[in-house]
Amino acid sequence: VNRGCLWTCILLFLFSSDFQSHLLTLPQNPVIEIGTNFTATCLISNTVEVTADDLYWKLSNVTISRDQYRKVNSTALSVTFIHGISLRTGYRPEKPENLSCISFQKEDKSFSSLQCSWETTRRQTPTVPVQFRLRVMEVLSTITKDHWAEVKLSPYPFHMELEVWVEAVNQLGAAESVHLRKEAQHFVKTNPPEVTVTSEKSFPTSLLLNWTPPVNQVFVKLTYQIRFCSPKSPGWSHVPLPDINDQRNFRLQGLRAYTPYTVQVRCRDMENPHGYWSDWSQNKTTTTPEDKPSSTPDLWRTVVYNGTSERLVQIICKDPEFPNGRITRFEVKVEKQRDRAWNQSEGWKSVLVNRSEAEDAETSITLLEQTSLSNLESVKVSVVAVNSLGRSPEASLILPVKLPDHARVEELKVWPHEGQLVVEWKPLRNKLLSGYVVEWLSEGRLDWRRVSKTSNRTLTGRLDPFVCYNVSVYPVFSRGIGKPVQMSAYVEQGAPLRGPTVKLNGKPGHNEAELVWEEIPLRDRRGFITKYAVFYKLGEEIRGRTSVAVPANSMSLKLESLMGDSQYEAWVQASTAAGSTNGSHHSFITMKYAAGTIEAISLGAGLVILLVFLFGIYKRDLVKHLWPRVPDGRQSSIGTWSPDCSMKAEPPKESCVSGISVLVSMCESQSGFEEDKASLSLRKDKYTSEEHSSGIGGSSCMSSPRQSVSDSDEGADMTDTTASTVQYSSVVASSAYKGQTPGSQPQHSVFSRSESTQPLLDSEETVDTFVQEASGRFERLPPQDITCSEVFGPPDGEQLDCCQEADELQSDGRTAPSSYMPQLGGYKPQ
Amino acid sequence: MIGLQFACEIEGRMNGHAKNMHLKKSMKSIATLLSFLLLMAVHSTRMVGASRNHPCRKTLQRTFKLAKVVQSEASELFIIYKASQGEGSEFLCTAPVNNIPDPNISGLEASERISSIYTHLQSFIPHLKRVYEQQTDLQLPTSPMLPKLLGVSANSRNLALSINDFYHRAFPNLPLPEPAGGPTTLPPPLNVFQQKVYGCMVLKTYKEFTSNVSKEFKSFRGKVCRRRMKTNALF
Repeated sequence: VNRGCLWTCILLFLFSSDFQSHLLTLPQNPVIEIGTNFTATCLISNTVEVTADDLYWKLSNVTISRDQYRKVNSTALSVTFIHGISLRTGYRPEKPENLSCISFQKEDKSFSSLQCSWETTRRQTPTVPVQFRLRVMEVLSTITKDHWAEVKLSPYPFHMELEVWVEAVNQLGAAESVHLRKEAQHFVKTNPPEVTVTSEKSFPTSLLLNWTPPVNQVFVKLTYQIRFCSPKSPGWSHVPLPDINDQRNFRLQGLRAYTPYTVQVRCRDMENPHGYWSDWSQNKTTTTPEDKPSSTPDLWRTVVYNGTSERLVQIICKDPEFPNGRITRFEVKVEKQRDRAWNQSEGWKSVLVNRSEAEDAETSITLLEQTSLSNLESVKVSVVAVNSLGRSPEASLILPVKLPDHARVEELKVWPHEGQLVVEWKPLRNKLLSGYVVEWLSEGRLDWRRVSKTSNRTLTGRLDPFVCYNVSVYPVFSRGIGKPVQMSAYVEQGAPLRGPTVKLNGKPGHNEAELVWEEIPLRDRRGFITKYAVFYKLGEEIRGRTSVAVPANSMSLKLESLMGDSQYEAWVQASTAAGSTNGSHHSFITMKYAAGTIEAISLGAGLVILLVFLFGIYKRDLVKHLWPRVPDGRQSSIGTWSPDCSMKAEPPKESCVSGISVLVSMCESQSGFEEDKASLSLRKDKYTSEEHSSGIGGSSCMSSPRQSVSDSDEGADMTDTTASTVQYSSVVASSAYKGQTPGSQPQHSVFSRSESTQPLLDSEETVDTFVQEASGRFERLPPQDITCSEVFGPPDGEQLDCCQEADELQSDGRTAPSSYMPQLGGYKPQ
Repeated sequence: MIGLQFACEIEGRMNGHAKNMHLKKSMKSIATLLSFLLLMAVHSTRMVGASRNHPCRKTLQRTFKLAKVVQSEASELFIIYKASQGEGSEFLCTAPVNNIPDPNISGLEASERISSIYTHLQSFIPHLKRVYEQQTDLQLPTSPMLPKLLGVSANSRNLALSINDFYHRAFPNLPLPEPAGGPTTLPPPLNVFQQKVYGCMVLKTYKEFTSNVSKEFKSFRGKVCRRRMKTNALF
């Protein structure tokens, strides 16, 4: 903010520029605290030619109204600015807090400065900034706008008391921090000491540390802190501070032999517990000397095959917990129990350990022996581990014959915890119990851990996620290994790597289909399958899928209520606790008809055909059977024909022999009416087979005694037919009735034949013999010989049982032309 | 019933005796309380004395540490000096040089010996300054000896300040005498060899002196500031 541009005291006169030098504004350097009023005064000096009345105030470029002025006297004019006016404003400086100072040791080991830092609320404005002055001993000082400052101290005043404080100053005032009073060495942060670590062969469990102090202790007497770790330790172990008495060296004790240890040391001013620790020294790693193994190897067995009479057992072991060197071989001894005494079959057997450097000896498992054992014998296996310095204590394992089932642990629980599995069980109360073995197996990889008998919980160590582990807990008794309790568990579950592959079980039905799928391979499962979900949809639909939940133990689902003749797409989703994965899609098309429908239709159609066929065959019999014809003598007539009978059909007359009618099939007749040809030909087509089978060639109707008789291939049928059929026709010599014939009728041989299906009356039976002869002769006649035309004289209102077309022709009321030519030759002798 | 009467008689007889016992117990308690208060008073007096004496001991301790710093730096400086003087530096310190303060501490009483230390120290400081001036001309500006010399001079001044502080705390009624005979007499202009010899002798003598000072202050520990504490204890 510029005073000149904010407010200006100006003369009204034109010659004001001459008098401008006589004007003085007060205050000259106005800095106003926020929230206070400000009064500016314009003074006229060294002239009497102008007075206060000639003055006016301008704020920037705006003239201030005169009613805001106050005329102090004739040479002074003041104006008061109140809130809302832009002024240079700021805050009073605040007291710096949390002052702290530090002196870093330089690379040349000297200390040459003191750095101090402090905190404020940073409440300041850009127009009224706060400056800080760091003061040391009231002599040295440095000014800064930051919140830290550095004061050069050369030489560094060790053992001299320093008084350090910070002054915050701005145009509105000043504030001081608290004063720090400390001897100079209490501010220092030294470099870390230089450390060397030495291992001595005669002390396999200790390391000797030596270090060089970063600064002469006449300047600062230092205290040290040591920490160390090995690859097997979870983190740094700190040596208690009081244990480090000597200023230059320390012996780490109680370490593991043949183990690399990394050591770091740091230091600080001994007399200032709140002093600054140096950084930790650089890692110094040294391996402790080798020693003979101090613990037993971890002996275990795995049963490869367990038969009824024998078992194939692998004896395996891990290195001792404290191998104290590189295990070069194991020595194994197997003893079998006989008569309650262990008999050593072979002596100690050496198993060399060929292990590369890269292999982790701690997790490596060595196969000592694979042996087939009888289920009836107990075996005791003893093992010692050997390194370059000696043998370990002996470990033994008894493989008993059989242990009672009740010697199992109960209430086994397994759950994941930070990449490991926690295994917990209810402890056994058994005096012979010596401990437990917790074993976990996955994808052929086996590992185990021994647990003391007083414990009922253990951790497996870090395991792979998404892998199923079969965890077993074996109680170990003094007389052998007990029976295990098993449980499967995952350290971490994930969604299955792939979904189940679904397919149809058989063929899909009209509205149903059965889907089956296989279990996801264990490796791809990545968790416990909690459920399956079967999705299906119509092939064309993008949405509208239907899902059906299926329990995890089910591997099939029958889809129902599907649409017939439709394409469906189905897939199965497998779910674990951590997610779901869809399997491959499978499409299928439902059947158009339900199973059996076609068969039913076919069967029905076949039946119908069969019925029609049978009806055709047995129509006459059936009709006869159902509607037996009662002979009516009045309707009977005797047809008369002669070889030279007229072609003119004569209607039956009252004078004809009552009760005898002569019926001749028209099927074979050569109809003279053209309009009937079509219908006849249709029927001909329909019954071609029957026509061919007809020996007479004229009777087309399906049932005719004449037809059956003429069919030589169907002799049996013929026999049956003739046997079952009553011969209703009879041929009567016309001479016998000559007297009854009208006189106009020419005298010639006439044969009458009745084709009534009704049994003949007694009067008719008198001519049986003749009828049979005649009938036999008729059947032998060739069709072309039939020249005689038949006179149709159906009974009143009664249809003929021959052919329909004959009926139709009759119904026309016209006389049917004779289909028979005169049988001149055939019947001449008669 | 017999048992009950006997019990009542015993209780009746014991009533008078119990009153006496209560009185005695009260007296005993008061005496114990007074003794405790007296002990507390004495202890607090001692504590006050000790706390009053604490700055003295603290200053003594600090001065002793500072004397060791100066001694250490003087020894180091002497080694660096000889190394920086080139060939024949072994013979530089064999030639006698006048007007160099005596490295030995005089006086019988502690105050006298501290006064002696203080005056000797004051006398050495101008010599150190002169050596620095001479060596600035003789050495390269990058010579490590020069800052070391400056450091020793600065620490010597700090030591003098600390001794002054300690003396006034340890002997508040005794004035600290300034060096007798006025300002330190410095040598006249010398040639280069003489300057080297002079510097060598000054630093050598100073090293001996600071060594003596350290020993002297070590001997003061547990002696000087305890006298005041004893006085307080008697009070």
